[in-house]
Amino acid sequence: MAAKAKKDDGILHLSIKDDMTIYNAQSLKETLLGYCHTGTQELQLDLSAVNEIDSAGLQLLLLLKAEAQKRAFTLRLLRHSEAVIEVFELLKLGMYFGDPIVIPANWKKS
Amino acid sequence: MSDINPALETFSQEVDELLSAMEEALLGLEGMPDDADCINSIFRAMHTIKGSSGLFGFDDVVAFAHEAETVLDRVRNGERAIDAELIAVLLACKDHTAQLIQHALFNEDEALPEVLQQQSLDLITRLTGQSATAGMPTTQEEKADHFEVDVNTTDSSDNWVISLAFKQNALRNGMDPLSFIRYLQTLGKIIEVIITMPTLPRIEEMNPEDCYLNFKIAFNSSVDKKTIEDVFEFAEDDCVITILPPHSRQEHYLKLLADLPEDQVKRLGEMLVEIGALTEKEVSIILHEQHNEEHADKRPLGEILVAKNILQQPVIEQALKKQESVKQKVNKESNYIRVDAAKLGYLINLVGELVISGAAMRLMVDKHGLSDVDDVASTMSHLVEDIRDTALQLRMVQIGETFTRFQRVVHDVSKELGKQIQLQITGGEAELDKTVVEKINDPLTHLVRNSLDHGIETPAVRLRAGKPEKGTIQLNAYHDSGRIVIQISDDGQGLDPDKIVAKAIAKGLVKPDQILSKHEIYNLIFEPGLSTKEEASNLSGRGVGMDVVRRNIEALRGNVSVDSELGQGTTVTIHLPLTLAIIDGFMVEAQKERYIIPLSMVEECVEMSSDEWQIDDIQHYVNLRGQVLPYLRLGDFFHKNKKHTHTQRESLVVVRFGDAKAGFVVDELHGENQTVIKPLGKLFENLNGIGGATVLGSGDVALILDVQGLIQHAKKRVNPALALSSMA
Amino acid sequence: MAKTIMIVDDSASMRQVVGIALKGAGYEVIEAQDGKDALSKLTGVKIHLIVSDINMPVMDGIAFVKAVKQLDQYKFTPIIMLTTEMEPEKKMAAKEAGAKAWVTKPFQPPILLAAIAKLVLP
Repeated sequence: MAAKAKKDDGILHLSIKDDMTIYNAQSLKETLLGYCHTGTQELQLDLSAVNEIDSAGLQLLLLLKAEAQKRAFTLRLLRHSEAVIEVFELLKLGMYFGDPIVIPANWKKS
Repeated sequence: MSDINPALETFSQEVDELLSAMEEALLGLEGMPDDADCINSIFRAMHTIKGSSGLFGFDDVVAFAHEAETVLDRVRNGERAIDAELIAVLLACKDHTAQLIQHALFNEDEALPEVLQQQSLDLITRLTGQSATAGMPTTQEEKADHFEVDVNTTDSSDNWVISLAFKQNALRNGMDPLSFIRYLQTLGKIIEVIITMPTLPRIEEMNPEDCYLNFKIAFNSSVDKKTIEDVFEFAEDDCVITILPPHSRQEHYLKLLADLPEDQVKRLGEMLVEIGALTEKEVSIILHEQHNEEHADKRPLGEILVAKNILQQPVIEQALKKQESVKQKVNKESNYIRVDAAKLGYLINLVGELVISGAAMRLMVDKHGLSDVDDVASTMSHLVEDIRDTALQLRMVQIGETFTRFQRVVHDVSKELGKQIQLQITGGEAELDKTVVEKINDPLTHLVRNSLDHGIETPAVRLRAGKPEKGTIQLNAYHDSGRIVIQISDDGQGLDPDKIVAKAIAKGLVKPDQILSKHEIYNLIFEPGLSTKEEASNLSGRGVGMDVVRRNIEALRGNVSVDSELGQGTTVTIHLPLTLAIIDGFMVEAQKERYIIPLSMVEECVEMSSDEWQIDDIQHYVNLRGQVLPYLRLGDFFHKNKKHTHTQRESLVVVRFGDAKAGFVVDELHGENQTVIKPLGKLFENLNGIGGATVLGSGDVALILDVQGLIQHAKKRVNPALALSSMA
Repeated sequence: MAKTIMIVDDSASMRQVVGIALKGAGYEVIEAQDGKDALSKLTGVKIHLIVSDINMPVMDGIAFVKAVKQLDQYKFTPIIMLTTEMEPEKKMAAKEAGAKAWVTKPFQPPILLAAIAKLVLP
């Protein structure tokens, strides 16, 4: 499984343990969809282990954000990896997702 | 480039192997000319050598290998048979290739020796059967970016707007939008990105391998449009790309547009590509789209470009303007609209009515002393005048076309008569009303035929008279005081005054003791029943011609006269009004009646004072500055039976027609007046001295004077002997 | 993380020069001398882009692209075909097969590098 979840007071915490690319987009989508059920108040995505993210992966994040708004739960992206930050920077997406992005001290453009 | 050296070694080895394989295969082909494997391996040898040589920049090798490869490709596709001769050539090519590569490897950066160059050319000739031209095919065209980097483009508000709509399969095809955007970033600064997913289905149905992403990117860069387009080159099948240039670029485009040469009409797309505002790819896509539109909804290219946000409106407008101006410049003739003559006639009638009601308004304004309306009224009068002139201008055509038609007539007739005659045309650009042109054609034809028939002599006669064998007829036209003058002249035998007089006397047109000027004699030919030639030819009839000619011309309010010199030639001069519809008139009043004199015929107006002028009341002439001027009291002339008192001060209007002058004595001068000519009915056709009528603003009718007729009348009273001929 | 590019060409010198250029630009490079050789190397290793010649012995470029499109782990990998102007129909065939990018031979390394960069930056 590409993702690992734990439940805590109606807040779902999910660590994505793989790339977010077209190769695993299908399974990733199924996983994420699985957390978008009624009763979810907040979904936290830990992106620290995402070594690679492409348009398919980005598309899923955008979709999830839209879904969260529709179903009125909070989507929180945490611990963005370098690859994620690079894409967010490129597309000026930081504001859209609205999550604080912590840039590690040793971060450099890969 | 030291790290390249090991690669060169590999290359050298590889070439050895490939060429040996090629040789082997060629020899193999001698036994089995159809062996596909052999042919393939020969092809691949040249193909690979070409590719690798290109990598190292060995252009001479590439050029030569390219030719060999081309021929081999045709062999491979069965388009060219392989025979012993071709095999021999290919073997030579193989050896030559080895030499070329040796040279390239060991004499880096040195030009190819002539021997090898010549050898290349010879072999190519033998390969292709065509002589080769030196030089190699350009492998990569130079992409010259002619746009100078503009420091102003760093202005953050001035960005390219790039819209990318990716298609469903983009991701599957390995075309990751992020990659292109990353690459884009190497060419400039991405200012803003807006991502939309307009076709995104419900999350359950969404296929994460499909691409739903659309991007709108504000991009700041000084590169040109083509460079930006090239970023997305590989995505062209998977993405709809539009690139809207920044505003600063617009001005640059506008400037380039202004600088485009105006030598030929180009299509909008071509012009925009030329200035770099549009790329060829964009044009072909748009044209394709336009082609597919329903016929009724086909939009012009410019409209599509704006609608699709590919280019801003001002650039397109400027380009269209430019195109239009070039068009006008290049092809003035094609810029005509065909209009039904009847419609034009109707328009001119309406303008005539407009002129009259404009005058009526003027009258009312003056009558009621509406000073505040005055300005408005005079502005309108000016406009009406302009409209009148423009409307009449619409019907103006050049007389040249009518003249040119006579070339054929002259050609045919001179052949028929065994004469040598040339037609010279001058003043063909003079314009006159189309209705006049139509009506002048018949009289002109008659006059030209007359010159051909009676005027120009046969070559033998001409030579005897010491004239050039070839006779000349000239058609000339020019404008003179608001009228057009048309002259038909020939260098023929001229008119014989004695013959004319004899004939006139015989016909009872003149009395034998009458003394006539030369001028008067010549103009006798316009009298009915006179023909100078004893025997009528089938060309110009039996002497019914000239009087008909005069009648036709006079019907157009014109006149005709003739001048001649025996043995030298004849000139017929026709004066015609430019238009038949509206004239500028001069209004006078006599005995409470208003008359219009065509303004162009008015010479001057003077006070009729007995002290100053020696007025001869019986002979009806005045001494105008030493000149005898016949005069006519208009009041007396038109109201013969009334008793008139000349208590008030009278005015003398001096009129001129051709070179005849006369004075009209009137009670009052009313000044200039736009006159719409209303033809009199049949009933009044023969009314003496009246050419037509017009309706005044007040609704009253004013008579338009037939100046020509009246001058004649005035002269008649001075010297009855002159009454016979029309004035000159 | 450096991106990995596979270069498939039967010419050793071509592979070598391209390899040097790519490594110089910051890519990892895997070489293969024909389609079959390339397929044998597509086992688990992450490849970001494939550059392949069309004219190759054993297994040509088009067959190779078709084969790649069948491999779950590689089917979405962008492929640049090395084409010649002489063979427009082969270029079309390669596009059909799924190679959407191309570079026309002969070329010098910077041209190929620019094409690669549009699809995968180092």
